[in-house]
Amino acid sequence: MRTIRAFADMTMKMLLRRRTIYGISIVILLALLGISRVPSFDVGNEGRFILDFGMFGLEIGALLLAIGLAANLYPRDRESRVLLPLLAVPLSRAHYLLGRFAGAALVQMASLVAGCLGLVAVLAINGYAVPPALIPAALLLVVEGWFLLSVVFFFGFWTSPPLNAPLTVLLFIISQMSVREFVSLLPAASGAMKVIRLLLPHMDAFHIKDPIAHGETVPLLYFAVAAFYGLCYTAFILTVGLAVFRSRDLR
Amino acid sequence: MADAPIRVTALTKRYPVRMGLGSVAALDSVSFELREGEIMGFLGPNGAGKTTAIKCVLGLLKPSSGRVRLWGLPPAHPSVRRRLGYVPESPDYDDAFTPLELLSLFARMRRLPGGRCDWLDLLARVGLSAWETTRIRKFSKGMRQRVSLALALQSRPSLLVLDEPTGGLDPLARSEFRSIILEESSSRGATVFLSSHLLSEVETICTRALILDHGSLVRQGSMRELLREENQWRLEFAGEAPASLAGRVSALPVTSTPDEAAGSGEYRELRTAGEDLQACIDELRSAGARITRVEPVYGRLEDVFLSATAGQREEEPERDQ
Repeated sequence: MRTIRAFADMTMKMLLRRRTIYGISIVILLALLGISRVPSFDVGNEGRFILDFGMFGLEIGALLLAIGLAANLYPRDRESRVLLPLLAVPLSRAHYLLGRFAGAALVQMASLVAGCLGLVAVLAINGYAVPPALIPAALLLVVEGWFLLSVVFFFGFWTSPPLNAPLTVLLFIISQMSVREFVSLLPAASGAMKVIRLLLPHMDAFHIKDPIAHGETVPLLYFAVAAFYGLCYTAFILTVGLAVFRSRDLR
Repeated sequence: MADAPIRVTALTKRYPVRMGLGSVAALDSVSFELREGEIMGFLGPNGAGKTTAIKCVLGLLKPSSGRVRLWGLPPAHPSVRRRLGYVPESPDYDDAFTPLELLSLFARMRRLPGGRCDWLDLLARVGLSAWETTRIRKFSKGMRQRVSLALALQSRPSLLVLDEPTGGLDPLARSEFRSIILEESSSRGATVFLSSHLLSEVETICTRALILDHGSLVRQGSMRELLREENQWRLEFAGEAPASLAGRVSALPVTSTPDEAAGSGEYRELRTAGEDLQACIDELRSAGARITRVEPVYGRLEDVFLSATAGQREEEPERDQ
């Protein structure tokens, strides 16, 4: 654990010294500020509109952060030959993956928390109440971000960064679809499509922005189950990613 | 551990070619061993398989067949890793860090004792004392290579694996690099496995060398064995050589070499084949010449390398690791 912690610390410092994180974070904050200036069609419910779009913006921010932070980590380590002394001496491949993931996950979490605070500030500045369910919703958003990060790491082991980004976005889109929507893409192979969709993650489980925006109560158990599901899926993707990484020859 | 620091037995590494149709052998049944405390040079033309062999030794590549053992254990064994130092060819550490930060972070990862003062001493040793808190992005290639060496030396490794460590360095930096390697070997008894294209460097510091070509080991031995020209002897003598020797020696006389240690007077030297050596000595003596030295002829590593790798004259890109 100490080795992983030290490597995660190194990763975090490295990411915090790159411009990517600040660029994406500024875009997220500007988007949140911009939402309050967008005229709402639903007069009288502007607060709900800000909350709804704000959380959607944060979700897209989580996706951008995952790609921006992690898509280039492994390829860069390989190209710069830094991976070789790291893996030859202090780290095993599991240490490497977990350390890089933990470092990137912490940076992503910090950025998303900052985004959530920005959303709270936008709501408060415009005189709208902040629903208490925003806190667990933000935590779910962080879990979703970690899941997306694990997907980016997974694709990173067998694709190039330019391919990693569209694949992750594609998975992001598919995982928002219901089984029925997914099967409708290719009805001729409905059986296979159904199986594929059931195997792919169900990120719609993380989407509670609508009930929160509409002031509905979301039971805490739901948050707990959804977070558990997200963490389990993240662990699963990381495990598969590690298996792919271990099978790779570092030519 | 009494086992050899590196023992490679029948190591073969095959890489799949495109579409998985067949494979190409980057290493073909290579066997060698490093003894404790020696500096082994690892030579070969581009694409000979040197880096592949080093990566197999370090456990970064899985051999297709054969065995690699470091002190009798697999390369990935934690106790082996703790005793290893590795300098890859031109690594490009993240330029957001300073050398001191990198050393501290690596020390934490390796769970090494020691603190800031130790790392400052280490940076001074590799010639970076004035740059310890400067970000690596401002460093030249040579300075980055020094950072890499400092990281490799940090754990006071028993085995140093160096893959083209001085490539791209200026002569002064190369000389400093060599001094550090020699110091590691002489003062701490570290074993060094040095891959290099700089033959003069290998000739200067290595005790033994391996020459790899087309993935096969074509020559190995102590530096003296490798450099010794086959069946050639050098005779040094005082006096005149008889004309009858002309057919048996390669040059008569080769040079006039006054030898201070052997006394005053004019000395000459000649070269002859082993089978003619005794006859030459007899004839020189009967002509009244005084023989002052008889020794094998040593050539240059470059000649040995060129003759050993004479087969390879065309590049093989797919093997260029």
